[in-house]
Amino acid sequence: MKKWLLSAACALGVPVLISLSLPAATTPTASHRIVTAANDFLSTLDATQRSKVLFAFDDAGQRARWSNLPTAMVPRGGISLAQMSPAQGKAAMALVSSALSPAGFEKVQQIMEGDEVNKAGGQNNPNRGPGPGRSAASAALFGKDLYYISILGTPSETDPWMLQFGGHHLALNITIAGERGVLTPTLTGAQPALFTVNGKIVRPLEGESDKAFALLGTLDEQQRSHAILSYRVADLVLGPGQDGKTIQPEGLKASAMTARQRAMLLELVSEWAGIIHESAAADRMAEIKAGLDETWFAWSGTTTVAPGSNLTAYYRVQGPTLVIEYAPQQLGGDPALHVHTMYRDPTNDYGRKLVAKP
Amino acid sequence: MKKLAAALAIALALAQSAFSHTLDEYLQATLISLQKDRIDVSLRLTPGVAVFAEVFGGIDTDADRIISKTEQWDYAERVLGETSLSVDGNRLKPRLLSVDFPTVEQLKQGLGQIQIAFTADSPVGSSRRSLVFENHHQGRISAYLVNCLVPQDPHIRVIAQHRTDNQSSYQLDYMQSAADSALAAGSPTVRTWLDNFDAVPSMIRLGMRHIAEGTDHLLFLLVLLLPAPLRALRSRWIGFASARESLLQILRVVTAFTVGHSITLAFGALGVVSVPSGAVEMLIAISILVSAVHALRPVFPGREALLAGSFGLIHGLAFATSLGKLGLDPWQRGAGILGFNLGIEIMQVAVVAATMPSLILLNRTRAYSLVRIGGGVFAGLASLGWIVGGFVGVQNPMDAVLNSAARHGPWLFGALLLFSLACWALPAIRREPAGRYRTI
Repeated sequence: MKKWLLSAACALGVPVLISLSLPAATTPTASHRIVTAANDFLSTLDATQRSKVLFAFDDAGQRARWSNLPTAMVPRGGISLAQMSPAQGKAAMALVSSALSPAGFEKVQQIMEGDEVNKAGGQNNPNRGPGPGRSAASAALFGKDLYYISILGTPSETDPWMLQFGGHHLALNITIAGERGVLTPTLTGAQPALFTVNGKIVRPLEGESDKAFALLGTLDEQQRSHAILSYRVADLVLGPGQDGKTIQPEGLKASAMTARQRAMLLELVSEWAGIIHESAAADRMAEIKAGLDETWFAWSGTTTVAPGSNLTAYYRVQGPTLVIEYAPQQLGGDPALHVHTMYRDPTNDYGRKLVAKP
Repeated sequence: MKKLAAALAIALALAQSAFSHTLDEYLQATLISLQKDRIDVSLRLTPGVAVFAEVFGGIDTDADRIISKTEQWDYAERVLGETSLSVDGNRLKPRLLSVDFPTVEQLKQGLGQIQIAFTADSPVGSSRRSLVFENHHQGRISAYLVNCLVPQDPHIRVIAQHRTDNQSSYQLDYMQSAADSALAAGSPTVRTWLDNFDAVPSMIRLGMRHIAEGTDHLLFLLVLLLPAPLRALRSRWIGFASARESLLQILRVVTAFTVGHSITLAFGALGVVSVPSGAVEMLIAISILVSAVHALRPVFPGREALLAGSFGLIHGLAFATSLGKLGLDPWQRGAGILGFNLGIEIMQVAVVAATMPSLILLNRTRAYSLVRIGGGVFAGLASLGWIVGGFVGVQNPMDAVLNSAARHGPWLFGALLLFSLACWALPAIRREPAGRYRTI
């Protein structure tokens, strides 16, 4: 009997033990994974390319060299996918992917895909946004290969360094220090913000639009009177070039929200906070949750949205360590098809808190 | 050659894409930063491609397609002139700190940001302040953003922000306690509790300013006081009252006016009654006309106090309107009514104290009728101007005279006193005490 029990325990316990020890043994830590991907990428480059990709960690000029605009208008540092061989490009995207969550990487790919739609022009895509892309020259402006990568400092599993990746409507500024990671400031945007690929409708900023609208829908009259601003907000207040600024918050405080609304607000914030890899995202969400009582939700513009489309209203989420802005662009076209968003922590631009703490 | 073709292609694409990547408005973003003793303002101006020509025409005034340093500063000065920054109603005089221009090419593509920084000394004031920033530069084509940075000074705290729909007008209410004050160190609850008391002194000042600058109220009061030292007999002013009688009469008139406007101010500010401001202004003009006529010929002799009281009711409605504009919460409003009224009272007493010696002195001279008739005619014309102007919608031509008189109030009172003294000192003009009941 005893023998039978022991063998049963072994039969059950050994696989459990193996499965428990396996992830620890075979899944590398986030920093190890990212540093390995960075070194793999760097090793594919020739000396000239490498010198273009690498910057000093504290290069303030390169840190701030990002924009919502096409790269031909505002040149970025580093080298673009267009300047790489297919193998180098693959290694670059593997590096970007290693620093992001699967959902975050998918969002990035969709934003890049949208720019490819711009390049292709309007002929085969009735859903694309207003604007250019109808001539061959737009190849110089748009396309999913016009995204630049740069590394500030030396990829290290212990010391802080930075990875930047961006182009038209995208600016990821990722500071990595060991297991910790900081994604602020980061810009996402999309034009067209709604397009079809192989018959499937893609909205790169779908959650950003739908989750905010759902939250607005749960507010009662009194909450709405606080949340909905009485004036028009024409554009991002803290867009590119506005690092480190904290504006006076406005709108509805999360302390005046129900538990369900607070959960929805956190879920909305995770669209940005969850772009970075899971362990860094978890830390960040915990930080934002800790400051939730002091977090504000403000809305400006229409309170309706066309079914299946994007918001044409502006909104802002602002907390002690957080500023999120969602700003549809009025350009004589449909603002639902052209959106800029900004994700900031004014207390932690380019991970300066990571650097301050050894 | 290949390079040139590529550049051309990019330029072509830029020209097309411009509309999709830059605003077709003139975006003017303002950030206001409250400092201990000054207010810093930074303006970020981004002309969209569609409005570039219009904006650039205003910058490149000599049309040489180059933005010279002089043109940069001239433009910044012009922008500054089309904005206004004030604290508690006092317009500040900002100084340009820096002007930063992008290249013409960047501007043309809608990528350029013009950055203008200026600063102004914040006036010495009470702890609760109200800043107003207005921007009317290129109003037709512009989109405005105005925000305030969270103050870094722990003694400054933002209370509320108000904006018009297009943000061209922005109001920022904030608390600023003295650095050495125990207030700042207090807990937030204590501070909030104390804020209500701080509201009172600023309200008193507001009430004082309302009277000092509100020429209509002042004019009414002064004209009503003109015949105070006189006695009426059958629709004529015939004699002079003693100094004591004159004083009592002045006191009665002022008190009745105070009681009247206090009642309607309280009701109006609490929202119990509300009368359209146009109607109130008209009634005030009529009240001045009536008292002006009364100064010329006694129409209600002995009943000046009653008149002052009932017209006080009308003036109180106007006070309530200006108090209502401040957007206070109920508690602050209660404290506000008290403070505002006190301020009005202080100013009234000051005006009466400044004119009384002159009136009593003049009362002893033959020049009194000159002053009475001159004052009455002037006030009558001014009120007629308001009444007619109110119907036709024209600016009263007397306003300019009145406003400049109000600005130089203390000097005018001084001049009146000198004039009275001179008249009193000249035997030819001085009236014998025996002539007390002589027709004048």
